[in-house]
Amino acid sequence: MLMVCSALLPTPSLADDAGLIVSAGTSHKFNKKLTAGFDAEFRSRNNFRTAERVSLEANMSYKLLPWLKAGVSYALLIENNQETLSYHDDNTYNNWRPSYWGVRHRFNVMLTGSYKVQRVELSLRERWQYTYRPSKMIDSFDFDEGEWEDHEVKGKGKNVLRSRLQLDWDIPKCKFDPYASVEFHTSKKLDKTRIIAGVNYALKKKHNFKLYYRYQLTNGDPNIHMLGMGYSFKF
Amino acid sequence: MNKRFYYFGLLMTVIVLALSSCVKDDTDLDEVIKQYQVQPVEIELDFSALAEAADVPVTDEDDIAYNDYVENTDWNRVINITFNGETATVDGSVPGLAIQRNGAHLTITNIVGPIKFVVSGTTANGSLKFYGDKRFQLLLNGADIANPKGAAINNQGGKSMYIVLAEGSNNHLVDGADYIMVDDEDQKAALFSEGQIIFSGKGSLTVNAVGRGGIRSDDYIRVRPGVKIHVNSTALDGLRANDGITLDGGVINVETSGAGAKGVRSGGPLTINGGRLTAITHGNTRIEVEDVTDTTSCAALYCDTLMTVNRGVIRLKATGDGGKGVNAKQNVVICGGSLEAVATGTAEDKKPKGVKIDGNFSISAGYFYAYSKRSDPMEVLGTTDVAAGYKTLDHGPKLLIIAY
Repeated sequence: MLMVCSALLPTPSLADDAGLIVSAGTSHKFNKKLTAGFDAEFRSRNNFRTAERVSLEANMSYKLLPWLKAGVSYALLIENNQETLSYHDDNTYNNWRPSYWGVRHRFNVMLTGSYKVQRVELSLRERWQYTYRPSKMIDSFDFDEGEWEDHEVKGKGKNVLRSRLQLDWDIPKCKFDPYASVEFHTSKKLDKTRIIAGVNYALKKKHNFKLYYRYQLTNGDPNIHMLGMGYSFKF
Repeated sequence: MNKRFYYFGLLMTVIVLALSSCVKDDTDLDEVIKQYQVQPVEIELDFSALAEAADVPVTDEDDIAYNDYVENTDWNRVINITFNGETATVDGSVPGLAIQRNGAHLTITNIVGPIKFVVSGTTANGSLKFYGDKRFQLLLNGADIANPKGAAINNQGGKSMYIVLAEGSNNHLVDGADYIMVDDEDQKAALFSEGQIIFSGKGSLTVNAVGRGGIRSDDYIRVRPGVKIHVNSTALDGLRANDGITLDGGVINVETSGAGAKGVRSGGPLTINGGRLTAITHGNTRIEVEDVTDTTSCAALYCDTLMTVNRGVIRLKATGDGGKGVNAKQNVVICGGSLEAVATGTAEDKKPKGVKIDGNFSISAGYFYAYSKRSDPMEVLGTTDVAAGYKTLDHGPKLLIIAY
């Protein structure tokens, strides 16, 4: 299935990157309004060849109204930060900081409103996301000095507002439910836009699989084609 | 069926994860970094003895160098000068020779002919100043002369000043921070001469310059084998001549720390035929702002015209901002010997280069080493000619070696 989906994906251009998202999670519905869950996720980049992130998330949601849901979550992100390589004006090497693994803490608060017309559900999710990166000592190579130097990546926090508009289509007598969404990440300016198209597959109501394609347009960085696969277990 | 499906999914996930995480996407810079991590050779002042071939004077009167050999002149007129603190005693007399004394400051006017001055003793407030266009010999035999107000030795005559270092003697010259100048007279260094300076003998001379340069001639300088010279200048250039420098031998150590100062600077042809020259500059680029901004970087060896290395060991280092090991404004020709030039300074105002040549560079024998910590090891604006037969040619962003 992976191979087939990979073949169907558009060939990334030289400037674009491609990667994989694999996730697994579980959730429990305590009552009609309160649900809590736990998710784990893995991401890759560099045309599926390099691990980029492993994350663990705990989340909880509460249905305020039949059409309005509130939620909070915390995620521990363990990320493989990409290298940075800078040059002098005459194109000679200046400084190289190789890739390194680091930790980030992410807190989310979200509100999701939904509206159903026949078998199509339209939902809008507004998410405030705060991510804190603790300081970390890393090595970088100074080509002028010809030596490795300790360098502190200072701790900092970042606030992002994420707005997602999603359409879900419940096809009669079919276990596959397609969906599509567009999401905007805004801090001081528009940072990212994500366009997603995928399909959910439910097995005996407890097991849910999803497969999707995500195209991410990033301000200042290469755009990314992502293939996503997920499994969740409800109990 | 369902279990098989789950297991298959799990297996696929594990495989994908394993494959995904096994490749780093960093730029492969291992080999590049090795080139940048290369450390330069150690270059420090070297006062150790040097075995040199016998110094055979030129005897052919038609040879252009004939008059540079003190042996080719009869020195039957001798004056002994002995410094003793605030005074100096003068023994001997030559008709027509005028010696004016002011404490330990002696002003000598020679219109007679070749005279040999044998100088010894110590003064912290004295000097020797010469007038007259007659060649003369200064035999330094344990002379220690400091002049707080100017040059320790100042020759205003335009003829040769033969400085002979008596065998085994240690001689010391020091200038002052502030020079008292005389109208229409130059006084450019602790040891200054309008005429040629020819060093010979088997003693040592140490020059400490704090006001201006160390040793300077407005004509040319020749250094013969056996001599040991050490110049330390905190102000201007260490060893400088307007019309050229010829190093036939000797152990020469030059160290400067002034901004823009040169270790050895030749306004005319620089020819190295032997000996061991070590020159180190520590100063940064000198910046002068008047109508326009003028920047001058240091150079351990600076030459305005042709630079030729036939034999000898030359070790050069510049540690200040923009400092060069060699800064040659015209051609450089290496026919033998060994030349090592290292620049370890920063590149804020000027680029530090191991060797910078505005003309052409050619090497047909010997050993050549150029290193720069923060810029190109070598820059040649003209052509580069490396004759066939070299054994190694290592080239990286910081290091260049040519060895035969």
